[in-house]
Amino acid sequence: MGALQDEPLFSPALRQPRSLREAWELKSACAEQAVYVSGGTLLRTQWEAGTAAVPQVLIDLRNIAGMEDVTRDDDYLTIGSLVTLTACRRSGALASAGPAAAEAARQIAAPAVRNLATLGGNIASGYGDILPALLVHDAELAVYDGNLLRVQPVEAWLERRWSGAIPPAELVAGVRLPLDQGSGGSRLAVFRKVGRREAFTASLVTIAVTADWDAAARTLRRVRLAAGGGSGRPQRLAAAEALLEGAELSRSLLGAVYEAVEHGFASYDDPFAGEQYKKKTAGNLIVSELWQTLELKARS
Amino acid sequence: MPDNFRLEEMGEMAGADIPAGPLYTLNCTVNGRALSLEVPPGRRLLSILREDLELTGTKRSCEIGRCGACMVLVDGRPVNACLTMAYQCGGAEITTIEGLGEAGLHPVQRAFLEEGGFQCGYCTPGMVISVVGLLRENPSPAQEDIEEALSGNICRCTGYGGIMRAVNKAIESGVSP
Repeated sequence: MGALQDEPLFSPALRQPRSLREAWELKSACAEQAVYVSGGTLLRTQWEAGTAAVPQVLIDLRNIAGMEDVTRDDDYLTIGSLVTLTACRRSGALASAGPAAAEAARQIAAPAVRNLATLGGNIASGYGDILPALLVHDAELAVYDGNLLRVQPVEAWLERRWSGAIPPAELVAGVRLPLDQGSGGSRLAVFRKVGRREAFTASLVTIAVTADWDAAARTLRRVRLAAGGGSGRPQRLAAAEALLEGAELSRSLLGAVYEAVEHGFASYDDPFAGEQYKKKTAGNLIVSELWQTLELKARS
Repeated sequence: MPDNFRLEEMGEMAGADIPAGPLYTLNCTVNGRALSLEVPPGRRLLSILREDLELTGTKRSCEIGRCGACMVLVDGRPVNACLTMAYQCGGAEITTIEGLGEAGLHPVQRAFLEEGGFQCGYCTPGMVISVVGLLRENPSPAQEDIEEALSGNICRCTGYGGIMRAVNKAIESGVSP
């Protein structure tokens, strides 16, 4: 791969706004000539690969106060977009409020990349591996539209993102996860990733699961299933969720869940794996996790 | 010596304000020495180290953050110099492989030598940096911690056996930060 030359081909100007409003105004003024950037790890690889144009202006978000904070109140854990993936991976608060998201952070890239890369960047890509985990945790995004910070579910934001409905200057400022109210049972929270090698590899398929397990009734409630991977759209798997919700977990039910995941998960062919492989993989990953719940937790 | 930087006495760092014109004034320390550089803000740290400062121990390889050959410590944490841009290093303390060995071999380097943790040696500076970064945060890492810490460093010669022996020897020797 030919590397980008630093100069003169790669010499964007730098702007370092001190507020969301200032950042939004800069981006609005520069439109497609500018990009928001913090860690810049994904952007840098896109520029090197030629899959994204080198911008004329970098809008460095790191000087905006509050976007590196992790805060907790009675109802939510809120994480600023500039929190690094390393901080996410090590956050006890995230491990508690969003264990699948914390595990996703552990499996994204490698430690040195995570020291630069941010939660906001992974989200803003529209396909980052953290997103399926955020979906199953019912997370919401705080997005700045030039006037207000608006909170919206990750699923709604993804719909806007993938339909091209997000204005270019809109900015993901942070994420909030509802603190689990509990149901008396044990909470299942899983993130799994399959790539082309075991460690430090781009994902082919990711899955995330949360549910309350009632061992006595052998049922799952508040079931959330999601899948994604590669540059595909992260998505909830509603049909499979509906099959599991409140039903007694059994081998025959798992077979139906596998088929629902395989049928419901929309992915894409890439040079290394076809869509059908990814559908099967998502089904196998989810069912294997549920199988472990059935076999292991039922005994405990 | 390249004409676009000057060594300065260690002192108060300038802020990361936007420079007039396209160049960015990068104030940082490299291997303990304060310096100020006029560089394009998006210039890679890898290029600054190798081309501007002639610190060629930091290796150029994949250039997309995959192989770890260009690993350096920024404020004590490993980062890929190929992914890091100049403006992201404002005020930072940067340590390269040359900075580890200024007072003789660093104990991690010695462990790599004694345990055969290299063959061609191209990945070794990055490996050593990653291990130093790990041991600074966790002097007694478990095997899974080591594997995670080195997951971004690729070696195509050793099969990693010698590298793991070297890391374990460094741990046993009680490497101090």
